[in-house]
Amino acid sequence: MNLSYKHIAPFLSAKQNRLQRWFSYFGLGTGVLLLLCSLQMYINISQLLKDRNPKKNGYDYISVTKIITNENMGSNHSFSKGDIDEIKAQPFIADAMPLLANNFLVKATGSSSLPFTTDLFLESIDNSFIDTIPPGFTWQEGQDVIPIIMSSDYLELYNTVFAPSKDLPQFSSESISAVMVQLECYSASGVPVIFKAHVVALSDRINSVLVPQNFLDWANKKLGSGNIPPSRVFLKTTDANSADLQNFLQKKQYNINKDKAKFGRVKQVLQAIVSGISAFGVLVILLAMMLFSFYLQLVIERSKDNLQLLLTLGYSPAWLSKTVAKRWVPVYVVIILSGLLFTMLFQYYFRSVAMNGREELSPFIHWTVGAVALLLLFLSVVINYRMVSRLLHKL
Amino acid sequence: MQISLKKILPVFFSQQPAANSQIWQQEVVFNKGEYIHIIAPSGSGKTSLVHFLYGLKKDYNGEILYNNESLKEFNAEKLALWRQQHISIVFQDMRLFTEQTVLQNLEIKRLLHPFHPADKITTMAKRLGIENKLGKLCSTCSYGEQQRIAIIRALLQPFDFLLLDEPFSHLDEANRIKAMELIEEEAAVRNASIILADLKEISYFKAEKKLVM
Repeated sequence: MNLSYKHIAPFLSAKQNRLQRWFSYFGLGTGVLLLLCSLQMYINISQLLKDRNPKKNGYDYISVTKIITNENMGSNHSFSKGDIDEIKAQPFIADAMPLLANNFLVKATGSSSLPFTTDLFLESIDNSFIDTIPPGFTWQEGQDVIPIIMSSDYLELYNTVFAPSKDLPQFSSESISAVMVQLECYSASGVPVIFKAHVVALSDRINSVLVPQNFLDWANKKLGSGNIPPSRVFLKTTDANSADLQNFLQKKQYNINKDKAKFGRVKQVLQAIVSGISAFGVLVILLAMMLFSFYLQLVIERSKDNLQLLLTLGYSPAWLSKTVAKRWVPVYVVIILSGLLFTMLFQYYFRSVAMNGREELSPFIHWTVGAVALLLLFLSVVINYRMVSRLLHKL
Repeated sequence: MQISLKKILPVFFSQQPAANSQIWQQEVVFNKGEYIHIIAPSGSGKTSLVHFLYGLKKDYNGEILYNNESLKEFNAEKLALWRQQHISIVFQDMRLFTEQTVLQNLEIKRLLHPFHPADKITTMAKRLGIENKLGKLCSTCSYGEQQRIAIIRALLQPFDFLLLDEPFSHLDEANRIKAMELIEEEAAVRNASIILADLKEISYFKAEKKLVM
């Protein structure tokens, strides 16, 4: 059959109800644009908020504590072995290690050029969780020099607050390693054991004064009553802001760094809003398809006598369905490609103007957005064909 | 190639009126190439028979076989193909697209399965005296003109059987003869059968078989 839509077009009342048809096109275009843009925004938010924290081998390291409230202030807030095992068992947590603290009194005393004395705390953690491990961060029994890894925040506090107020010298991150302090560790009976200590590295990740784990184990056993249950646990996770992790921590009433918690919360809220817009986009598309189906029903109803006569003359119902439905394929292609084009322009504008060209974002749309546009096109064509075919077979 | 009627009777017919019919409840065979004249008074079911043969209605008992295949078993697609290539019809009520021009009415049929080139439409229209109507809307044509349009439309496709249901009811004698000549010429080109049903015998139809309903 060497026929096309143009041959049967005069027999259909498709030119009527233009307003309804254009409304349905506009609705479909709006829905497609909403869906594609919100999907792209969802991906943008994930990319913008994913790589914010320093990572080692693609992991986030965050410390958690149990929340201390007015009601539970006096109770035990340490983590049991069961707590840690439960944390490790979560699929979104790659590993978890406790931060062990000293179980004895520690005092640090400076030299004549650095005259100070202060009570101190010491902690240790498995080396795999420390971001900067110099070769000298080891200890053997009998060794009287203790290597320390200190938080870089502490050095900053010392240099900006402590040193000026006490008229003490300031140190750079390199020169601090040359400073040797005396470490007095007291047993329960008050007998001191004296060590020398110096900073071998600074850590951006762990806010603490870290010593080698075997030293703390030995000292806790020798000077105290052994290791005490940890109050802090470090988590190793692929995404510190994942919704699953946030929900787990919330459920267990564990506390993480407030900035990170807020950050994760903001991400959740933003993604929820964008998901809501996506759902609205889908709703608009469905409404537009419904409006279009009413338009089609009206066209076919008004052309009913002519279509029936075409079938009587020998026109095949399958050919008529396909030909009438095909008439709208270019319209769908134009609408959905326009939606995709506007999404591309939106993404380019969002990255270059709204986000000042941030490198985490691509100026191009994500491939999944293109795939969704193709899927929408496929669905529109199939739904349209089925609608026309159903209406024609009803004649 | 043949159409066989196997004791067919419309479901809405009582047995009595069909008792003397040479069609109803009879075993009848129409072979390709035969000219068959069915003479049927009003109310004897002439139009029903034509519609049964064209596959428009299925409310009959018995069977109509087309090359040993039951017409009732044809699905919509097979029926469409059959109407494109093997059977053509002139309806008693013409069934034209009244809001389209005469030419559009004829082209939409010719294009479906072209047997003749497009200029054949003008040739046929000239022979039947309606060439000046080709550009006019069908709704502006008289019944006689519409009947000639319906006849030309039926002759624009390939067919093995041509069904004519009172095809000349609105034509004068001269136009009837012209139309019959054209029909017989076209049937001869295809070696096709003509099955003409009318109220009374038509003398200028060279029927080989006459059946009374």
